[in-house]
Amino acid sequence: MKRNDVILIACLLIICGLLFAGMKFWQKRNTDADAYVEVNVDGEVYATYPLNEDRVERIEYDNGCYNVLEIKDGKANVTEASCPDQICVRHKAIHYSDETIVCLPNKLTITVVGGNQNQIDATTN
Amino acid sequence: MVKYLDMKKKLISCFLIIIFIAFIAFILIKNHISGDLQRQLQSISGGADKYTSTSIDLFDTKTDIVGYSDSEEQFAKDSKVIIDKLTYYNRIYDIYNDYEGVNNVKTINDNAGVAPVKVDKELIDMLKFGKQMYYETDGRINIAMGSVLSIWHNYREAGLDNPKEAKLPSKEELEDAAEHTNIEDMVIDEKASTVFLKDERMSLDVGAVAKGYAVQQALDYARSKGMDNILLNVGGNISCIGGRTDGSKFMVAIQNPDLESDEPYVEAFEIEDGECVVSSGDYQRYYEVDGKKYCHIINPDTLFPSDEFAQVSILAKDSGVADGFSTALFNMSLEDGKEFIAGYKNVEAMWVMPDGSKVYTQGFKNYIK
Repeated sequence: MKRNDVILIACLLIICGLLFAGMKFWQKRNTDADAYVEVNVDGEVYATYPLNEDRVERIEYDNGCYNVLEIKDGKANVTEASCPDQICVRHKAIHYSDETIVCLPNKLTITVVGGNQNQIDATTN
Repeated sequence: MVKYLDMKKKLISCFLIIIFIAFIAFILIKNHISGDLQRQLQSISGGADKYTSTSIDLFDTKTDIVGYSDSEEQFAKDSKVIIDKLTYYNRIYDIYNDYEGVNNVKTINDNAGVAPVKVDKELIDMLKFGKQMYYETDGRINIAMGSVLSIWHNYREAGLDNPKEAKLPSKEELEDAAEHTNIEDMVIDEKASTVFLKDERMSLDVGAVAKGYAVQQALDYARSKGMDNILLNVGGNISCIGGRTDGSKFMVAIQNPDLESDEPYVEAFEIEDGECVVSSGDYQRYYEVDGKKYCHIINPDTLFPSDEFAQVSILAKDSGVADGFSTALFNMSLEDGKEFIAGYKNVEAMWVMPDGSKVYTQGFKNYIK
């Protein structure tokens, strides 16, 4: 029976492995592989970052101000900023096409390009 | 005995395998369903493509124009017409900045007690609208309250720049300023197209109505130019012409005032052609003194920020009315607000209380169902 136990454990491990690979596969299919964020500073394109790669970017300005952009699990979020109002930091993470996070004091906009369509056209604030 | 143990082992392994199969099936079905939903959402845009333009140069806020158009060129042309119009309103309604060759609200304020200022008809129309709002709301919105609002503005800016030193204005300071908020001292001469503030210490602050009023003017203009299938969102003042090109309506959401919550919206619903939505709340613009939040909406009765509600949202046929009334209701008790809004056809309200509970007018409830 010892041999059968080993077989059982091996089978379970294989199933687990397949399951994990399957989940990763589905996850990739569901997050739009082409989606990226366009970071604009004072009307000029500063950089673009794909949404399917996790990263943290510190966007710094000549006057010493900054915003920290975090991309995680297919969503972009501002996690830290030097601005006094902190409206950009309080903004929810974005991932739908054309969603934006704005930091008015730093003249920063972060816009999703090519993501899934949001069914909501506008939100009050 | 040995045989019995074997049986037990076999049962356990069978059981485990069944759980795993069930788990895999669950994952597959879940993904299948969400894939369907994704496709459904994508088909909402219909034949024409959806475009969005975002601007951060207007009214000290974010402006989004959403349009369904056959070509990007057409959308760019249409949105430029709207942006140009809004840029014009932003300049003449501005209370903080001067613009070359433009007489705006700041020019009027700078000349308080000195001389009448010649201004465009569009500015006079907005000030008249502001005055009308004053009478309708029994003074709950007063565009002549600049002297009080500027005190709060300065304390808030200083408090945000240096949170440790954040302070509240004194009651004396506020009451002294409140002596100079008589709307009748704003003298409009329509024939000469001038505005004069009789009281040299008074000033206008049009923040409670100007954005909404500008949205209404810009959309009316866009409509007169034949534009359709377009939605305008100036810092949360939302209105639209028509709907999406596939015949469905524009969908708007009301932001959850609890920004910590995982739920981004408290309501989401479709709006008809020309319908306007706006929210007033204490969660976007505020500063903290000794751990207590003080928002930017100041009650003319107490001269202090209102704290009865987390948010008030208005649904109306006119964006200026929606903007003004959301501020007015924010400055009233729930009972007074309910009674006030019941006097208006086609104006509906939703209140979010500080504990997150929601109160609707019947019409609002019917609308979002």
